[in-house]
Amino acid sequence: MRGLILMVALLLAPCVGAAGEEPIGYVKTITGDASVTTDDKKVVAAVGTPLYQGSLMETGKKGSMGVTFKDGTVMSFGADTVFKVDEFLYAPTQGKLKFASKLAKGSLNYVSGVIEKLKPDAVVVATPKGNIGVRGTQFLVVVEE
Amino acid sequence: MRIVNAGAATRNISIVRFLLVPLFLLILAGCAPKSYVVLLQSPDGTTGQVVVSGSGGTQTLATAGQRAPLDGSTPASPMKTEDIMAEFAQAIAARPKIPTQFLLYFTGGVTLTKESAALIPAIIAEAASRPAADLSVIGHTDTLKSDEYNDQLALQRAKKVAESLSAKGLKALTMTIEWHGKRNLLVQTPDNTFEPKNRRVEVSVR
Repeated sequence: MRGLILMVALLLAPCVGAAGEEPIGYVKTITGDASVTTDDKKVVAAVGTPLYQGSLMETGKKGSMGVTFKDGTVMSFGADTVFKVDEFLYAPTQGKLKFASKLAKGSLNYVSGVIEKLKPDAVVVATPKGNIGVRGTQFLVVVEE
Repeated sequence: MRIVNAGAATRNISIVRFLLVPLFLLILAGCAPKSYVVLLQSPDGTTGQVVVSGSGGTQTLATAGQRAPLDGSTPASPMKTEDIMAEFAQAIAARPKIPTQFLLYFTGGVTLTKESAALIPAIIAEAASRPAADLSVIGHTDTLKSDEYNDQLALQRAKKVAESLSAKGLKALTMTIEWHGKRNLLVQTPDNTFEPKNRRVEVSVR
């Protein structure tokens, strides 16, 4: 019972991504070119585009994108950014808490959500130069190739 | 004779230092990290920590406005606010509104308290202020009676709030209904304990 979630689509049903999986977040802001790739399917990002475990977010030379996740984490990306959600687990009553992601290049503004409040070592942002462990805060990061 | 020599040597070292220090600073400036993290204050006013670890070591940042290279090779150092704003203008401008939570309480069963019922329009207004608003409605109970009973009650409470929101004109992309029964207490109590603060529904608006 506790694992069940009822989805109530009020205005429009969210696009189905990975079969049977619930979205872990949504795109909230967009400027210029931005895309979301889930299960090898690339879509032009728009306000309301759902994100799933494994989704790849990209912005173009003049693009930017802001997203929110189910645990309240907020992220926004500057131009020419590639960011991937490797693992997102948010089931507090079962103790399943993890947020592992990768910033391959570009810039990110990160605001902490609930996952790391409940489990301090559960959030890591990996980059090609090093890993960032997050303890309940806001930070900026830039990765130049 | 010795004294004169020592003086000459000192002068030579001074000249070398005079030339080397700016050169060293120039080299340092050229090596300013291109991949780095900057710690900021959270929107709620608190400042936490980030820990960077890479091939050069591990560094902990605990002061807002400090930066450190992602390879962990040098300790955190202050970065000017105007430099931060210039480097990260796009990412900062793209930041969505921070999610917010509402707690609604029940007199018993699925009846909201008067104060909590009055929050329904505020939740609807909050959702309307956000692009593609998505909501979580999570039902909770106190620890009186069984798990099965409380799962059902928590679900009914969440449904009741979701229905009230819809009936009063909520506009949102999606709303998910969840229930934690008596597994996620706001106020920790022993089992089979009456606690009005645990009889609640949490609404997150993102």
